[in-house]
Amino acid sequence: MKFSGPSPIRVMLALKLNGRIIVWRIFPLLLGILVNTTILRAQQPVDAAAADKQTLQHLLQRIDQLEARVKQLEAAKQQAAPVSLPSPPVQASAPLVSETELQTDNAVPERMDVSKTLLRMRGFGDITLHGDSQRHDTTAFSLGQLNLFITSDISEKFKFLSEIVFEGGPDNIFGETRGENNTFGVDVERMVLQYSHSDYFKFTVGRYHTAIGYYNTAYHHSTWFQTTTGRPFLFQFEDRGGILPIHTVGASASGLIPSGHLGLHYVAEVGNGRASRSPITEEPVQNVVDDQNHKAFNLALFARPDAVRGLQVGFSAYRDLLAPVNLPRIGETILAAHAVLVRSKFEWLNEALIVRHAPNGIPRVFNTPGFYTQVSKQFGSYRPYFRYQYVNASRTEPIFPDVGLRQGPSFGLRYDASETVAVKLQYDYTALRGQPAVNALALQVGFTF
Amino acid sequence: MRRLAGLLFILASAAFSIAALSFGPAPNSSLLPEPQIASEQNLAVVVNLSNPVQNLSMPELRRIFLGERSHWPNGRRITLVMMESGQPERAVVLRDICQMNETDFNNHFLHGVFTGEVLVSPKTLATPVGVRKFVFNVPGAIGYLRVSDLDPSVRAVRIDERGPEDKGYRLHVPPRTSK
Repeated sequence: MKFSGPSPIRVMLALKLNGRIIVWRIFPLLLGILVNTTILRAQQPVDAAAADKQTLQHLLQRIDQLEARVKQLEAAKQQAAPVSLPSPPVQASAPLVSETELQTDNAVPERMDVSKTLLRMRGFGDITLHGDSQRHDTTAFSLGQLNLFITSDISEKFKFLSEIVFEGGPDNIFGETRGENNTFGVDVERMVLQYSHSDYFKFTVGRYHTAIGYYNTAYHHSTWFQTTTGRPFLFQFEDRGGILPIHTVGASASGLIPSGHLGLHYVAEVGNGRASRSPITEEPVQNVVDDQNHKAFNLALFARPDAVRGLQVGFSAYRDLLAPVNLPRIGETILAAHAVLVRSKFEWLNEALIVRHAPNGIPRVFNTPGFYTQVSKQFGSYRPYFRYQYVNASRTEPIFPDVGLRQGPSFGLRYDASETVAVKLQYDYTALRGQPAVNALALQVGFTF
Repeated sequence: MRRLAGLLFILASAAFSIAALSFGPAPNSSLLPEPQIASEQNLAVVVNLSNPVQNLSMPELRRIFLGERSHWPNGRRITLVMMESGQPERAVVLRDICQMNETDFNNHFLHGVFTGEVLVSPKTLATPVGVRKFVFNVPGAIGYLRVSDLDPSVRAVRIDERGPEDKGYRLHVPPRTSK
């Protein structure tokens, strides 16, 4: 806190001006105080010290109140002044001045400090050495995503959040590739404005991760947060061959449901959904234009009971209407359920979902089930982990015919080299329908900065 | 005359200093650094005087200190105040309330802010006086102080219906070591 008061020079000047009077009037008083203090100090009992402490605290508190009052008056005076000269920036010590929630008694009108940015930025990145047994694949060093995570507390109720990701390599959309191998592109992966009314109601608009299952909202575009080198296939991004509408542009309401120790939460979303009209290799997330008026809906409920710390169980139901070219409209329903136990030293993730595509006018329904389970335990800086994943799409699946059957285990070890750098070594075995199994090995360093 | 006054002042100061040295530090004097206390102290969880909350259960407290609750019942946003890393008060809060170590706590908040579930990271302050001032000034603030650092500018909330002065109170902090 900045204390404003008379400078020593001014005090000396005042003393000089009033010299004789002040000295003769005040000095005996000071001397008396000193002598009395000395005598009393020697004699006071322990209780007296406690009383002094209390008095001192009261006086300090009173000083604080008076300081706040002086600041308030100074601010009011500055605002009232008709002509404003460039005033020095208010250098108030943290945290009091940086805080906008000053108590009513001490409230100072909020003013914008143009020299202070409201943005907070954090970066994430990863670099991987990867090789596998698939034909035409080569072992290569790969730059992963460079993620600039930006937040801003716009006001007490509004918050801005975004992820700007620089990412190399071609896109893979339902098996179709676009773009060049070694060029970088920029994606605004998340951009939301969040209004937080209370714990029971938060409203978000923008581009966000759809609340399908658990993984998609627990982990975003940073491998550093994740135990493994990458996301489960079920939750792979749209431009990396994923089958789910991972991102949506729209609006979302979420919050707590009054449920005591059960800790129930809800999420209700409405958005553009995933693009389904050709050409399929265009941006799969409908950022600006929706290919139809119909909107996608998602409702998720989950519980975090007090009784088991770190446990979360829940389900979600997503509904959209796809309109692929040369095909009838297809109703898409995605039902997902999860049960996860996440603690500091242990995690066990279990998720299962089914993607149901029902073309209009055709009696056949295409169900694509999938699940994964992942378990890991921390031993010091080391965290060995295991994941098994499975997805089984029909050969005649109308939306993603290339996916087929994929299943297999992954083993790995994460080593936290520091609080912000993680090194991971992972082996994947993936069995495919009608094709040779793929063995893959990856060494990755993920970090935050 | 001014010289005489100055001389007298110096003499008085010298007398005061000699007296202070002769009698030594007064026990439990509040004007001097606190000596080491033999037994543990209770750690009070403190809120602003305007906060209507009187009692918090330990699970509620945990949710607040982990950023899983962002608003008080009166609609005010919760502003969590933590002391700096390495302070015994912080260690008690991490161990007994958050049940995490320092790294896990930091990662938890980093992850929470990243997912959007946590609105704001904790405010970190260095001293009990700083915590007291902050909680006094910010209506939505919650922090913690040793009982000996409490004063009427903040209010201690009860935890599981027990105040810091009650038997069976759950938060204890090791004695402050004298420097």
